[in-house]
Amino acid sequence: MIAKKWLLAGTMASLLLSCAAPAPVNAEAVPYESYNYNYWEEAVPAPAAYIPDRTLTGKDLGVGDFLDPADMVVADSGLIYIVDTGNARIICLDSSWKVDKVITGFDNAGKEETFKNPSGLYVNDEGNLFVADTDNGRIVVLSPEGELLRLIEQPESDILPADFKFIPVKVTVDQAERVYVIAKGIFEGIMQFDENGVFIGYVGTNKVKRDYTEYIWRMFSTKAQKAQMALFVPTEFSNIDVDDKGFLYATNIDPGSKEPVKRLNPSGEDVLKRFGYFDVLGDIRYRISVGPSKFTDIKVLPNGMYSALDANQGKVFTYNDEGDLLYVYGGKGNQTGTFKIPAAIEYAGGSQLVLDRGKGNIVIFKPTRFGSIVNEAAGYHYNGEDAQAVPVWKEVLKLNANYDIAYIGIGKSLLMEKNNKEAMKYFKLGMDRDGYSVAFKRYRREVMQEHFGTFLTSVMLLVVLWIVYRIFGFWRKKRQSRASRQAPHNHKEGNAHEAGFH
Amino acid sequence: MRQDFIKFPLHLIVHPFDSFWDMKYEGKGKLRVTLTILLLVVISMILKNQFAGFLVNYNDPRQLNSITQLFTVIFPFFLWCLSNWAITTLMDGEGKFKEIMMATGYALVPIVIIYTPMVVASRFMAEEETAFYYLMMSVASIWFIALLFVGIMTVHQYTVLKTIVTMLLTVVVMGIVVFLGTLVLSMIQQITEFFINIYRELIFRT
Repeated sequence: MIAKKWLLAGTMASLLLSCAAPAPVNAEAVPYESYNYNYWEEAVPAPAAYIPDRTLTGKDLGVGDFLDPADMVVADSGLIYIVDTGNARIICLDSSWKVDKVITGFDNAGKEETFKNPSGLYVNDEGNLFVADTDNGRIVVLSPEGELLRLIEQPESDILPADFKFIPVKVTVDQAERVYVIAKGIFEGIMQFDENGVFIGYVGTNKVKRDYTEYIWRMFSTKAQKAQMALFVPTEFSNIDVDDKGFLYATNIDPGSKEPVKRLNPSGEDVLKRFGYFDVLGDIRYRISVGPSKFTDIKVLPNGMYSALDANQGKVFTYNDEGDLLYVYGGKGNQTGTFKIPAAIEYAGGSQLVLDRGKGNIVIFKPTRFGSIVNEAAGYHYNGEDAQAVPVWKEVLKLNANYDIAYIGIGKSLLMEKNNKEAMKYFKLGMDRDGYSVAFKRYRREVMQEHFGTFLTSVMLLVVLWIVYRIFGFWRKKRQSRASRQAPHNHKEGNAHEAGFH
Repeated sequence: MRQDFIKFPLHLIVHPFDSFWDMKYEGKGKLRVTLTILLLVVISMILKNQFAGFLVNYNDPRQLNSITQLFTVIFPFFLWCLSNWAITTLMDGEGKFKEIMMATGYALVPIVIIYTPMVVASRFMAEEETAFYYLMMSVASIWFIALLFVGIMTVHQYTVLKTIVTMLLTVVVMGIVVFLGTLVLSMIQQITEFFINIYRELIFRT
C-alpha cells in the first residue's frame, strides 16, 4: 500500500516537473542565429525576434517571376508596391497579397511610354507614386491610378557639371513634397528637388576622413602609382527613407565608416542619436573575410525605431530612437528566412517584409512574442510612458535575462519614481554608468539626510570619550609620577630613574 | 619593527633625499620591508581592480585573476631592478643590486597608501566626483616616479641628467631582456623538441 502511494506520488511529481519546465522561447526553429551584443562586445545568443512566416514569388502572385526586383514600398493605404526592375514594371498588391494592378507604363501626352530599369519607388501620403526610372534618367510621378502627373528630368544648375548625367536610383518624398534622390555617380550628397521638380541642391554630404596610413603611403609613391590609387572620394548613399517628422534616414556603404546610418535634419546635418553601447553600424564583431555590415536599405518603424538591412550578411538590424540595438535577425542562405541578395525592407502591420533580389521573392517575417513585447516596451519608452514600460520590460527579461536595454529601461522608470536604490541595481545590471551615477547621487543624499543625526551624535560621543580618556590619562600619569617620586628608595637607582623620566 | 615597517617608509616618501641617503649609508632600509611593500602593492592592485566603485571600474569581472595581477607587479619589478643594475654597472653606478631593489620598493609606498583609501572612496563617488579619483591615481603614479628618480639618483650617486638617461636606458634594456628571454625560451623549446625527435626516431627504428 505504502509502495503504491509512493509510486503515485513519484508519478505525480514527475508529471508536475515535466509540466513546470518552461517551453523553450525559440520553439520554432529558425535558419539563423539570433543574438545581441552585450556591454563587453560579445555576441550573446538571444531569442529570435522575428521568424519567417512565408515567402511570395511572382509566380505565387500569378504575374510571372520577378527579375531582379530592386525596391518595395508599403503605402499608408496598405497597398504594397514592388518594383520589378528586370521586367520594367511595378506590381501593386492589396493588403491581402492579391495583385491589384500591374503598372508597365504610362501615357505621356498621348505617347505610351515604359520604364527602363526602374530601381526606386516612393509612395507619398496621397498615394502618388514616385518612380526612379533609372535608365531613362528621370523621376516619374504617377497618380494612384497610374496616370502621369509630372516628370522630373535632367536637372539644370550652375553647381552641376556640364557633362552631368542624371541616373536616379532611389527616391523619397517628404511632407513638403520635396523630392530626395540618390543618383549614381553623385558624391556630393542626396539631390533635393522642390515640389515643381526644380533642383535645389544637395543635402547630407558624407564626410571624407583622412586616412593617415594612406597619406604616408602617398608621400612615397610616384605619380603613376598615385594615379592607380583610389581617390579620397566620399561614398555614395545607398538608400533613404523619411520619417513622419520629415527627417531623412540615409544609409551609405563606405566600408570604414563609423556612421553608415544617418538621420539628416532639413538642413542636412546628421542628428541620429547614438547613445547605445556601440555605434549604429550593424555588426560590431565580424570575420575579416566577411567584412562589416553594408546597409542597402533602411525603414523607419513606428515609435522612432528603424530597421537597417545589411546586404553583406543578409541581416536586419533594428535600433530604437536612442541607437540601442534591439534585435538582429536574418542571414545568408537558401532556406526560408535567409537571403541571397536582400534589396529592400518594409514594414506592414507588425510584420517585416524583405525583398530578395537574388531569389526574386518576398519573405514575410512575423514577430515572435519576444519581438513584439520588445517593440511594445520600446514604444512606451519612446512616448515617455516609462512606468507602463516596466511590466513589459520585466516580461522581456523573463524571455531574455541578458537584455541590457530592459534593465536600463526599468532603471529609468525607477529613477522617475524616486526608488533610487532599486534603480541603482538595475542600472548596474544594464551597465549604464550615467544612469547609475544619477541614482547613486540621489540615494547618497537620501542616506545622508536620514542618518545625519545619528552621525553627529556618534561624532560628539567619540569626542567626549576622547576628552575623558585624555583627562584620565593625564590624571594617572600625574599620580604615577608622584608615586615614583615618593618611593625611589624601594627600587634600584636605574629603575627609579627609568620610571621617573619616562 | 615599527621603525622599519612604518616610520621609515612614511618618512621616506616625504623626505626622499635624506631618507635614501640614510638607506644607502646608514643601513636604514631592509629587504624584507621592500618585499612586504611589494606584496602590499599587489594586494592594493587586486583590491582596486576588484572593489573599485562601479563608476570607475571598467574591468570585466569575469577576467580578473589575482595570480595574473601578482605577476604583472612582481615581474616588471624584478625586470626593472635587473635591467637597472645591468645598465648602471656599465655606467659607474655605485648602487648594489640590493640597494636598487630597496630604492624601487620603497618608492612604491605612495601607491599603497593612496590606492587603498581611494578604492574605498570611489565607492561613494558620483560620476562628477570620479575626476578626483583619477587625480589621486595620477598623483600616486607621479609620486612613485619622482621617488624612483630620487632613489636611483641617490643610490648610484648620479647627476640629474645621468639619472634620466639611465632610467630611459633601463626601459630599453627591459625590452631587450624580454626579447632575449623569449628567444632563449623558444630555442630551448626547439632543442628539446629536437632531442625528443631523435629519441623517438631511435625508439621506432630499433
